[in-house]
Amino acid sequence: MDLLGLANYAVFMAILIGIYALLALGLNIQWGFTGLFNAGIAGFFAVGAYASAILTSLPASGRLGGYELPLVVGWLAAMAAAALIAWPIGKICLRFRSDYLAIATIGVAEIIRLVIRTEGWLTGGVRGVTGIPRPFGDLDYMPSQIAYLAIVATLVLVAYLLVERQVKSPWGRMMRAIRDNELAAAAMGKQVEARRLQAFVFGSALMGLAGALFVHFNRSVTPEAIDPMIATFLIWIMLILGGSGNNRGAILGAAVIWIIWSVSELLTDRLPTEVAVQAKYARVFIIGLTLQLVLRFRPEGILPERQPGAPPHR
Amino acid sequence: MKRKTIAGLVGAVLGAAVVAAPAHAQDVKIGLMAAISGPIAALAPPMAAASKLAVAHVNEQGGILNGGKLEAVLGDSACNPQNATDTATKAVNIDRVLAIVGPACSGAVLATANSVAVPAGVLLITPSGTSPEITKLADKDLVFRTLPSDDYQGRALARTLKARGIEKVAVAYLNNDYGKGLAESFKAEFEANGGTLAGYSGHEEGKASYRSELATLARGGADTLVIFDYGDGTGLTILRQSLENGFFKTFVGADGMKSEGLVKSIGAQNLDGFFVSAPVGEASASLDNFNKAYKAAGENIDAVFATTSYDAAFLAALAIEKAGGDKAKLAESLRAVAMAPGEPIMAGEWAKAKQLIAEGKDIDYKGAGGDHEFDAAGDVPGKYAFFKVSGTGYESVADMQ
Repeated sequence: MDLLGLANYAVFMAILIGIYALLALGLNIQWGFTGLFNAGIAGFFAVGAYASAILTSLPASGRLGGYELPLVVGWLAAMAAAALIAWPIGKICLRFRSDYLAIATIGVAEIIRLVIRTEGWLTGGVRGVTGIPRPFGDLDYMPSQIAYLAIVATLVLVAYLLVERQVKSPWGRMMRAIRDNELAAAAMGKQVEARRLQAFVFGSALMGLAGALFVHFNRSVTPEAIDPMIATFLIWIMLILGGSGNNRGAILGAAVIWIIWSVSELLTDRLPTEVAVQAKYARVFIIGLTLQLVLRFRPEGILPERQPGAPPHR
Repeated sequence: MKRKTIAGLVGAVLGAAVVAAPAHAQDVKIGLMAAISGPIAALAPPMAAASKLAVAHVNEQGGILNGGKLEAVLGDSACNPQNATDTATKAVNIDRVLAIVGPACSGAVLATANSVAVPAGVLLITPSGTSPEITKLADKDLVFRTLPSDDYQGRALARTLKARGIEKVAVAYLNNDYGKGLAESFKAEFEANGGTLAGYSGHEEGKASYRSELATLARGGADTLVIFDYGDGTGLTILRQSLENGFFKTFVGADGMKSEGLVKSIGAQNLDGFFVSAPVGEASASLDNFNKAYKAAGENIDAVFATTSYDAAFLAALAIEKAGGDKAKLAESLRAVAMAPGEPIMAGEWAKAKQLIAEGKDIDYKGAGGDHEFDAAGDVPGKYAFFKVSGTGYESVADMQ
């Protein structure tokens, strides 16, 4: 184990943490500030991923694509596509209360996954899309990773600042009011349904951007990447652990969970080979255990929500 | 996140200052990226066991390079790109592996090749990724596989059917990368040769009845149904329901349909019109070697992808030995040891191979799962035969071109 390798690994982890942080920020807008239980994160992640992939990839026979548009266009389109998909879904589903919304969004994510798998003319079907450009992908291993990390980190920072600004504004207070007491907010003349739809669409757009960043990093996307375990539930755990309602908490949660997830495999590798296969499941267990402990001893998460004007918790 | 980023960047700068010292120790590591958790978890343990058997053969018969030990680092690629790239990054950077055997699923192979193996200059040999997309990777000749792309079998099957005078077929495929990959290449080749597809549709796994799908396919007027599915799963249901309802007379499947459970379940007397294509190993002595050793290790020799997993690990070891541990020479060394001409090496013959490499002689590894004559894209052509049902098993009728 040498420093160069360690650094490479750290940079790689930071890139994935950044992508997951964007997903967690998106979910934080929906759940943390507005109280919308979106259990279909993978669906919006996938829409963004494929939108950008189709617009920027090299031409290929048998599917749409090969427009070779600039990356920025792809990323904006990813956000727009995820937002566009979120709008009608929100329009229909947001009338449901929390747990019904969760069921509806799980269903929607599954529909999106099946459409991606079967509509080969659009998405390449089960074979997916390849030949997706990666910015600075021609550099050597390490510089290329660092350049990509710089892009991801910048986008996370911009997203963080924008969301932070938004929730500190009157809009944010209004959202909290709707979350905490919908009837009272409605009685004060707030348009509850329209506001919830706004939050749903904004959050989904961020998830779409995360999807786009993920596929450009791997230069390919297949339906295997939209597994709900790794693209929905892991993000919920990140947000709950980090502290829903707190953007820094969302980012911190992404970092903590991904580091536990990734580094725990290094630890299980030190076990004797006879149990190595079984030990791989230990990290799934560790993640579950962490969630249980957090919910039991610190349900507000590591960094709890700060109410503007209120004295800090504790 | 910010702190993490800064830490990463500082680490990077520090790391860049320290030139990576060449490994003086003779021990060599390879990564085994099995899909231990995830959708194909059931396939992973036998695959990992087969690769480890190859590692054990190397270590029992003189070790690698100057008596060093070959060590296998087991990673969980979970059949998705997120976990596969993560575990491969760890293997490449922390464990410093010279070659990766795996990942198991095609999407994971694409992502790992693009973002880890190729940039880092590490050899990647997948024992089970069959997607034709892997052929198209811009891989600096670092990505190989020890089983044929789905493209080969579908095309070979199309040509065989044409040659047997079948002009019109209907195709039912399972909608996953296996079924669809085969169906698409079959369709392209069959139509290019002047055949007609009277029906072509995908189906999802695990339904109780496929009668309506079959009725739609039968309406096209073809007598032959080509099924790209698994004979222990949905394929059995489809075959049984077609027979019960008399939708088709002749049935043709690919290797996934070649199941003895299917014959037992439906009965050989009902399967006169059932044919399958399946890969056949040429170097049968090599396969015998493998089967004997694999059985002795307490594993089931019928396990899927076991032979290809063994060959992938053994080839990785041969390439490292031939390259003298030099990462930059791995790809050309792999081609040198795997391809003709040269002294043939069977599965398990590490000591002989090591001896010949030391003498500077050319060798040609004949694997348990095939000859592994790589083409320019790092793919292997498949050897297939056409089988019919005979007794409780299958009997080869003709070789396929």
